[in-house]
Amino acid sequence: MAMNFQHFKGCVRDGLWRHNSGLAQILGLCPILAISTSMVNAVSLGLATVVVMAISNLVISALRRWIAYEIRIPAFILIIAALVTVLDLAFNAYLHSLYLLLGIFIPLITTNCIVLARAEAFAAKNGVFESTLDGIMMGLGLVWVLGLLGALRELISNGTLFSGIDMIVPGLSAIQVFGEDYPGFLLASLPPGAFFTLALLVAGFNAINTHRAAKKAAPAATPPTTPTAPAPAAD
Amino acid sequence: MKLLDALPPAWRKAVSCACGLVAFTLVFTALMAFTYEMTRERIDAAKDEQQMRLIDEVLPRERYDNTLLADAVSAPGNTANVGRIWRARRGADAVALVFEAFADDGYGGRIELIVGIGDDGRVTGVRVGAHHETPGLGDYIEPAKDRRHQNKPWIAQFEGVDANLPKARWTVKKDGGDFDYRAGATVSPRAVTVAVGRGVLWVNKHRAALFEAPTDAKLNDEARTE
Amino acid sequence: MTSPHIRLDNNSVQRVMLYVLLALVPGIVAYVWNVGAGILVNIAIASVTALGAEALVLKLRNRPIAITLTDGSAIVTAWLIALALPSIVPWWLTVIAVLIGIVGAKHLYGGIGQNPFNPAMAAYCAAIIAYPALMSQWPAVGQVDFATQLQLILGGGREIDGITGATALDAMRTGLRKNEAVSAIFESTAFGYAGGNGWEYIGAGYLLGGLFLLWRRIISWHLPFAFIAGMGLTATLFWAISPEQYPSPLFHLASGGAMLGAFFIVTDPVTSASTPRGKLIFAAGVGIIAWFVRTFGVYPEGVAFGVLLMNIGVPLIDRKTQPPIFGRRGGKQP
Repeated sequence: MAMNFQHFKGCVRDGLWRHNSGLAQILGLCPILAISTSMVNAVSLGLATVVVMAISNLVISALRRWIAYEIRIPAFILIIAALVTVLDLAFNAYLHSLYLLLGIFIPLITTNCIVLARAEAFAAKNGVFESTLDGIMMGLGLVWVLGLLGALRELISNGTLFSGIDMIVPGLSAIQVFGEDYPGFLLASLPPGAFFTLALLVAGFNAINTHRAAKKAAPAATPPTTPTAPAPAAD
Repeated sequence: MKLLDALPPAWRKAVSCACGLVAFTLVFTALMAFTYEMTRERIDAAKDEQQMRLIDEVLPRERYDNTLLADAVSAPGNTANVGRIWRARRGADAVALVFEAFADDGYGGRIELIVGIGDDGRVTGVRVGAHHETPGLGDYIEPAKDRRHQNKPWIAQFEGVDANLPKARWTVKKDGGDFDYRAGATVSPRAVTVAVGRGVLWVNKHRAALFEAPTDAKLNDEARTE
Repeated sequence: MTSPHIRLDNNSVQRVMLYVLLALVPGIVAYVWNVGAGILVNIAIASVTALGAEALVLKLRNRPIAITLTDGSAIVTAWLIALALPSIVPWWLTVIAVLIGIVGAKHLYGGIGQNPFNPAMAAYCAAIIAYPALMSQWPAVGQVDFATQLQLILGGGREIDGITGATALDAMRTGLRKNEAVSAIFESTAFGYAGGNGWEYIGAGYLLGGLFLLWRRIISWHLPFAFIAGMGLTATLFWAISPEQYPSPLFHLASGGAMLGAFFIVTDPVTSASTPRGKLIFAAGVGIIAWFVRTFGVYPEGVAFGVLLMNIGVPLIDRKTQPPIFGRRGGKQP
């Protein structure tokens, strides 16, 4: 169970940045594109994915000795599908209006390749603690990309942030960032806007990585600067 | 165990795998069944609550004291394209009728509407349920999408309209009716206005019969039980 | 992605672009005469934005600014965008559209000669998807004076019902949805002889300019011919089946952006096919798609969507229509 600090850091960095499921592995595009029309929708689905990934990695790594190699894929899918069903019912019962908005995309978490990929590639081979951490970090990597994508699309298309927050915390309301008179830019909230915005995020992600690699490769003539926080600009 | 050992290795593997999968299936099906049982009541309540959300916007809950959703009748195949009709009562008094109306000629197909008529013979309100109107063009029939007019959304103009308005006036001003529309899109507001008018006239005409019909009755086009 | 046969010699580009601008003049004159001078303001706004955006992007990309800026291609894109948008859209919508055209559709793909999508049409599509309400408010012919137009372009207040008129395409589509007959719809004041009242002269102006370009051999006949044939024949087919449900081919060709599309949009040397046979396929495809979008689509005009969809197919069309290479049997492509 002992897990050294280096290992821990690796898990965090892989999930949040280096192997980010949205920007680097480009996995699970269907929910990313479909549900990122607003920040609240996007983050809610992202957090639901985190929960599924954390628990499925935990359960799978705990049970990995009892799952025969030949039946591991059906067993993993069974576990993931059961967890998603439980989550789906919980959403339906306690966050009903959000459940109606997210619709088919909650059950579709089952088919999100990143969930099975982490179960197969990580949880089936690693300890309970590491696997849970990996699930959470990979999920959080998806959350911040989804959140940023949702925030940008919502901001550009409506000039608001946090619209629909009242579905989660009653009484709160959206923030009008650009004021009442902002004419909006509907394209951003329609399907093409999802592709364009994601493309800009991936471009920003690659630009930052290239920039960093160039800096690392260059001789130490330039003073080493700490890389800025991961927040690729939209354009 | 003796039995298993007697089998050839490949068979042994197959049986153990099958048993493993069956065990997993049983455990996780039990988990799902348990959650389903735990959440069932909550989900039913949430569904009712969701349905009441639009109705509440059309008719405030303080106005009546019966369980509205349980007090419904319907008139399958009626000529006004009206769906379920709910009767709002306070004690023994009739308060209002809330009903579903459908506009099949929206720009993007069918538009679902909830309409209320009060005991004073006036429309208490109209709200749009599911629709597929063009984003940014015809979807202002839904108050949340009428971004530039949050204080007085388009659909609010139906509040207080006389339910006995003649049929010809239930359309947009462009066609000689009483109702505003926003420049650029007339198809969606026309569809909504005409459907509301058709529904209101039919329901208002059969008002008494609709209140008297037994709960869950299936009525004909003359609002009589068949 | 580049069509292989265009030479990006600055002098020749400049000459072509000058001719194109000249050819647009009859249409613009008819526009000013019939609808009002607001269009000139929009053209000015679009041109300034286009030049500014072009210069800025060239600087960011460390490219020589003066040569590209003076080749005239940015101005042509700007004029086409201004002519495609309603002439009373607010100034910021023109600016956004031009930025999308120049920065998004042209320079993000590598600048002139590299862009797969027609910049003007990409801008138009983005604008109509993002602002469908503003993009369907056209000035009613002869009823909006210049001062009002200027106020609409520069000012903010936009509750302008009454002075906007439905375009012919819009009136036709709305009428058909109400199950009215084509002949009955044509009674409305929105219609002239064949297309939109007043707007058909503007189409005639574009036609005149287009014939001038053909005469000077700036554009090849394949593209406008195939566009007109594609749209016209599709319309004729349906019109012959049910003339009260589908308007005539003449109506389609005289309305909306058909003439502008036929002579100035599908003829863009960068984004259209480059072989003669490819040009015929490309432009006919645009015309056919435009008819289908107009007839069954959600948006009022389909030429722009047709152009973008066929732009995607250009690399394939060019490949499949390349003449067989000598020394190879059967003309098989490598």
